[in-house]
Amino acid sequence: MNAVTLDNVCKSFGQVHAVENLSVEVPAGSVYGFLGPNGAGKTTTLRMIMNIIRPDSGRIEILGDGQIEQVKNRIGYMPEERGLYRKMTARKVLAYFGAIKGVNDKELAQRVPHWLQRVELADWADKKVEELSRGMHQKLQFAVTVINDPELVILDEPFSGLDPLNQDLLKNIILEMRNEGKTIIFSTHVMHEAEKLCDFILLINKGKLILDDTLDNVRSRQSAHTVSVELEGDTAFVENLPMVTAVKSEGKRLDVTLTDPDTQQFLQALMQRARVRAFEVKVPSLHEIFVNLVAP
Amino acid sequence: MQKILKVAQREYIETAKTKTFIIGILMTPVIIGAIIFFTSRISGDKAGPRPPIRVAVTDISKTLAEDIKTSFDDYNKRNPNRQFLLQRFDVQQDANAVQIQGKAKLRNGQADVYVVLDEDILQGPGKIRFYTHKPKPANIDAFWTIESLFRKAVENRRYEMEELDRKLLARLRNVPIERLEIGAADGQEQVQSQAHSIVNMMVPFFFMYLMFMGMVGTGQHMLSSIIEEKNSRVIEVLLSAVSPFQLMAGKILGLAGIGLSVTALWSAAAFAAARWQGLNVGVTPELMVYFVIYYILGYLLFSAILTGIGSVCNTIKETQSLMMPVMLIFIIPMIAWFKLVQSPDGTMARVLSFVPPVTPMVMILRLAAGSNVLFVEIGASIIVLAAAVLVVIWAAAKIFRAGILMYGKKPGLFEILRWLRQS
Repeated sequence: MNAVTLDNVCKSFGQVHAVENLSVEVPAGSVYGFLGPNGAGKTTTLRMIMNIIRPDSGRIEILGDGQIEQVKNRIGYMPEERGLYRKMTARKVLAYFGAIKGVNDKELAQRVPHWLQRVELADWADKKVEELSRGMHQKLQFAVTVINDPELVILDEPFSGLDPLNQDLLKNIILEMRNEGKTIIFSTHVMHEAEKLCDFILLINKGKLILDDTLDNVRSRQSAHTVSVELEGDTAFVENLPMVTAVKSEGKRLDVTLTDPDTQQFLQALMQRARVRAFEVKVPSLHEIFVNLVAP
Repeated sequence: MQKILKVAQREYIETAKTKTFIIGILMTPVIIGAIIFFTSRISGDKAGPRPPIRVAVTDISKTLAEDIKTSFDDYNKRNPNRQFLLQRFDVQQDANAVQIQGKAKLRNGQADVYVVLDEDILQGPGKIRFYTHKPKPANIDAFWTIESLFRKAVENRRYEMEELDRKLLARLRNVPIERLEIGAADGQEQVQSQAHSIVNMMVPFFFMYLMFMGMVGTGQHMLSSIIEEKNSRVIEVLLSAVSPFQLMAGKILGLAGIGLSVTALWSAAAFAAARWQGLNVGVTPELMVYFVIYYILGYLLFSAILTGIGSVCNTIKETQSLMMPVMLIFIIPMIAWFKLVQSPDGTMARVLSFVPPVTPMVMILRLAAGSNVLFVEIGASIIVLAAAVLVVIWAAAKIFRAGILMYGKKPGLFEILRWLRQS
């Protein structure tokens, strides 16, 4: 079952095509990363999923329902534009958003202190929001997002503005939620975060889909082509091997790009001609993949 | 519905906690009280000093010079710091020439007022002519005094000529009148002063003013609440939990509660004050019911207009230019109230009763003025008002839905019309 389905969704603002013919299926229980450079259309897509802006065409289904109003209580959404009532205390803000997301008073009495504790704001519970620091603000915003124990959590750039300690705190909570079987969609342009968290990667650029696959598939498809080797003796022959398309030498190391994902054949060919000191199938970071795919 | 109530509850509590609200609710009656108190004090103080006023006189009848002089001397003696300086321009040969001369004096500022008494002022239909040239507003009070001094001089002279006894006349003219309000049972009779009857006339105005303040005052809270949510970017989080319509409805409902609390408090205070002053204000339960019905409908209409305005603006300042035309409509009954109270069944009252934004104010004014408003008219005005409320809420919801997420640029009229056409 899919938590979110986008079918041929388009949205433009004036002359700018923010999102073009986007179709995505987010399976329930997965962590789905929406990646892309600034202005790629990530926020627009998430806002359309939340029905905050309407798509020009196409269909969006969320938690098995075409009408988002029916399922808002089962969703947690943290927008890119963060904001809370500045004159209310942290505790009251949390309780209010819990209440309008349909959590009853009895539940709230437990969950509000629990979440304040969890995001390390228990000591600040009765301070007004305007008195909190930016990082605290952000953590409170996250607590607001999940106070209704949502099945589907949508986070727009959840890590921006957090120090490394708080980033870890948030990451742990997200992983915990995944283990509980919740669906998590988040957008980011910081790749190493996505690498640690995602099951699926969606890469968009200028409103167009570039990549939509599991993280493992993305990696193996990209990685198998590059091998880093270190040989004894003359290495000139490598270039002339049939499976090699390019060689880049860095000192003694050679970065070899292959035509075929079968690295073993390449290894065999090397062993016939020279002693192999090191042989490493390179796993490119998501960062490299991103740069490769997005750079003009 | 639950969500609407939660939003309303927050709106009510948070608004009631703001300083502007608390100051407003306390200060308004204090300010009104202070204004009433000081106006009565200040208007009682008539004997303030003023520079002497120069009065040029031409008595064509040539018979009253002495009387006028006595009359003015008498006044000057009693009011040493409010003198009149009398200048005589007696007719030598040509009455017209003297008058031209007198008017010239007036024009070049050598006199403040020029008075001409006709030849047949005592017996015939002659007049006292009172010439001024660009009179100072500050002198109007003094001019009235001058008029009465001249009138008195002529009157006294006429009595003498007819050989009438002034004391007798005074006795004949004196017919004392006492106004009494009898109360519900015997023995509750109360003497009503002039002030009492003025207050009674003010009751309809008070009702209308209460309605005006209730609507406009809470309207301000509506605007600042929407602008705050837009500026603090909290709106997107809100919309992930509630629909735009639920948000708007909750806000309107919460602030309606605020408005009702305020008006209830103020009317209770006013009623208590009236009782304390021994005034018996004729407020029937029927009138209260109508007040609540018209207030709620009028408030819904006004606040729906404001949600539309608030959602397309980014700052309170921006809202002001859009508020202007709205406020102008609401000011109409505030200006015309006196005429409306005096002829509550006149054409103007009848027409304004069916102009939706002012319907509640005009109708409550008419009802409180004790006119025989037809029951059909009440029903029809409520239907028209309710229809207007539905149309405006429909439009406001669409504008709210689209405008609330717009930051920066204020949308043009065409863009707003396009939103209205969207589903």
